Amino acid sequence: MRARSNDWKRVVGALALATALACGGGEEEAAAPAAAPAADEARELNLFAWSEYLPQGVIDEFTAETGIQVNYERYGSNEEMLAKLTAGGTPYDLVQPSEYTVEAMVKEGLLVPLDKSLIPNLKNIGPEYMGLQHDPELAYSVPYMQGTVGIAVNTEKITEPVDSYAAVFQEKYKGRIVVLDDSREVVSWALESLGLSANDVTPETLEKVKPVLAKWLPLVKIYDSDSPKTSLLSGDVDLGIVWSGEGAILINEGGGQFAYVLPKEGAHMFIDSFAIPKGAQNFAGAHKFIDYILRPEVSVKISADFPYTNPNVEARKLLSEKELANGASYPPGSPKLETFVDIGAAAATVDALFTNAKAQAGS
Amino acid sequence: MRQGAARFAAATGAQREPTRIGSLLLLPIVLWAAAFVVAPAAIMLTYSFLERGTLGGVQWGTFTFDNYANVGNPIYLRIVVRSILYAGLTTLICLAAGYPVAYLIGRFDARWRNLLLMAVMVPFWTSFLIRTYAWVTILKTQGILNSLLLGIGVISEPLDMLYTPGAVVVGLVYTFLPFMILPIFTSVEKLDGALIEAALDLGAGPVRAFSRVIVPLTAPGISAGVLLVFVPALGIYAVNDILGGGRVDMIGNIIENQIKGNARNQPFGAALGTALLFTFGVAYYFVNQRQRTAEGRG
Repeated sequence: MRARSNDWKRVVGALALATALACGGGEEEAAAPAAAPAADEARELNLFAWSEYLPQGVIDEFTAETGIQVNYERYGSNEEMLAKLTAGGTPYDLVQPSEYTVEAMVKEGLLVPLDKSLIPNLKNIGPEYMGLQHDPELAYSVPYMQGTVGIAVNTEKITEPVDSYAAVFQEKYKGRIVVLDDSREVVSWALESLGLSANDVTPETLEKVKPVLAKWLPLVKIYDSDSPKTSLLSGDVDLGIVWSGEGAILINEGGGQFAYVLPKEGAHMFIDSFAIPKGAQNFAGAHKFIDYILRPEVSVKISADFPYTNPNVEARKLLSEKELANGASYPPGSPKLETFVDIGAAAATVDALFTNAKAQAGS
Repeated sequence: MRQGAARFAAATGAQREPTRIGSLLLLPIVLWAAAFVVAPAAIMLTYSFLERGTLGGVQWGTFTFDNYANVGNPIYLRIVVRSILYAGLTTLICLAAGYPVAYLIGRFDARWRNLLLMAVMVPFWTSFLIRTYAWVTILKTQGILNSLLLGIGVISEPLDMLYTPGAVVVGLVYTFLPFMILPIFTSVEKLDGALIEAALDLGAGPVRAFSRVIVPLTAPGISAGVLLVFVPALGIYAVNDILGGGRVDMIGNIIENQIKGNARNQPFGAALGTALLFTFGVAYYFVNQRQRTAEGRG
C-alpha cells in the first residue's frame, strides 16, 4: 500500500512537472531567480515593455556590456500590462507605462521610487518633462519617448488643408478615414473639438460628446490602433488620426505625399516612461538599464527605428537634419498639447459610450 | 434473446467496465481538464460577480449582479445579437458550401479521397493570422482581386471590398469551412451506398433520396460541423478586426476590450464570457436534441 501511494505521488509529481514545463518560459523564469543565489539573480532582468518600441540591437548591446540577460516580454496596451502585472506571476523589473498609467500606478502604490544616484544620465532629459501632473519630480518614472496624436493626410488625394478635427470629419471624406481604435483617444478628440479639456470627463461633458461621435463615426472606414499607417500607405484611406510615430514613418517612407498636422483644437501628448514595479527582483539591474537607455548614443539608435519625439536633449543633438525636420517627430510651432490624467472608473463609462457610438454607426 | 445479447456484448467488450488501473489512464486528461478548463471557468464565474478594481483587476468582498445587468444593456445586447447573426450566417454558408465538397470527397476512391482531404487540411499548416492577412492582400483597393478584375475588364473602378461586413463574412467562412467539411466527410464515408440504391429502387427521386436517406444518415456529421463552426465563430475577434477594419464589433472584441482595452473592467468581461459559455451550452443542447430526434425517426 505504501509503495503504491509513493508511486501515486511520483505520477502526480511528474504530471505537475510536465504541466509546469508546458506552462512556458514565463513561469520558469519567475521561479528560477527566486531559488538561485543573489549573484545569479542580478544577471537577469525581466523587462515588460510595449511591442514595436525597443530595438533588439539595443538590448543585445546592453547584455554584451553588462552580462545581464534581458527577458523582454511585450504588451500592446497599458491596460494589458496592468492586468498581467496585478495578476502576479513573473516579477517584472521594469515596465513602460504611459503618463496616465504612471499616475494610477503611483496612486495605487504599484511603483517603487527610483534611486536617482544610480541614474546619472537622468540629467539628459529635457526640463519640459519635469513638473507634469503624472510624476512632477520624476520620482517614479523616467521618460522614454514622447509622442502626440495628430492628423495624417495623403496630400496627393486631399488637396485642401486639414488642420482640425472638424476638418477631418467632413461628409466628403466619408469612408476615407482611419482612426485609432481607442475609446479614451476618440472621446478626448471630441472633447477638444468642443473646446473642453481632454481630461474633462464628467456625465455632463460626455453627454455633449455623444452627438459629436454620432456625427463622426459613420464617416470612419477603419479603426486601427496597431498600425494605422498600413491602410494609409496602401491607399485604402486618405486621412486619419494616428500616433505621431506612425505619422513620422509615413513621412519617411510615403514618398513625400504624407503630412502630419496637429489639430488646432488641441491634441493628446503622451509620454511613455520606464518605471520599476513593486515586487521587482533586480533593482540594480533595472536602474542600470534605465541609465543605459538614457545615454545619447543609445537613445539615437532608438529614435532611428521608432521616430517619436526623443525627450533626451543630448540625444537630440546627435540626430540628423532629416530626423529633426520630420514634422511628426518634432512638430513646428507651439501646438496646444495635453497629457492624459487617470480618470479612474470613468474609463468604463467612456468605453461604453464609444462602443455604443461605434455600434450605431456600423449598422 | 436478451441474455444472448448480453453475452454478445460481454464477448465483444462493448459493455465491459474498465478496470481500476485502466481508469488511471484517464487521469492525465482529467487533470488537464481540471487545470485548464474547469479552473479557468470557475475563476471566470467568480469574477463575474465581483466589482471592477481600480487598475483593471477585481475588488473582492462585494457580491453583485450588476455585470449581468450590464450584459442586458441595449449597447451590448445589440452586439451579442449581431455576433449570433454573423456566426449563424457563417454556419449556413459553410454548410451549403461544405456539404457537397464533403460528400464528393467521401464518395471518391481511397487514393483520391486522401489527396483531397489533404488539400482541405493544408491551410492548417500556416498560422491563422497570416492566412487572414493574406485576405487583406487579396481584397484591398489595390489588391490582387481588384487588379485581376480591372485587368480583364470586368470593372472599371476598383471595388470597395476590404473593411466591409462582406469581407468579415468571407474571412469567417474561409476560416471555418474545414471544420464543417471534416466531420461531414466522416459521416459520408460511413454511408452505405446500398441504402441509397434501395431508396432509388423503391421509387424515391434523387431529391427525396437525399432528404430522406442521405441527410438523416449524415446528421451526426452535420451536427458536429454546425457546432464546430458556430461556437468558435461566435467568439472570434481577430477576423473582424483585420478584415472588418474594427468597425463591426463582435462580442469577442467587447470582451477583449474589458481586459486589454481602455475599459479595464474584468468583472464585466467575465460576465460576457459566462453569457457566451451559456449560449454555447444552449446551442449544444439544441443540436444534440435535434440529432436525437433525427436518430429516433431514422
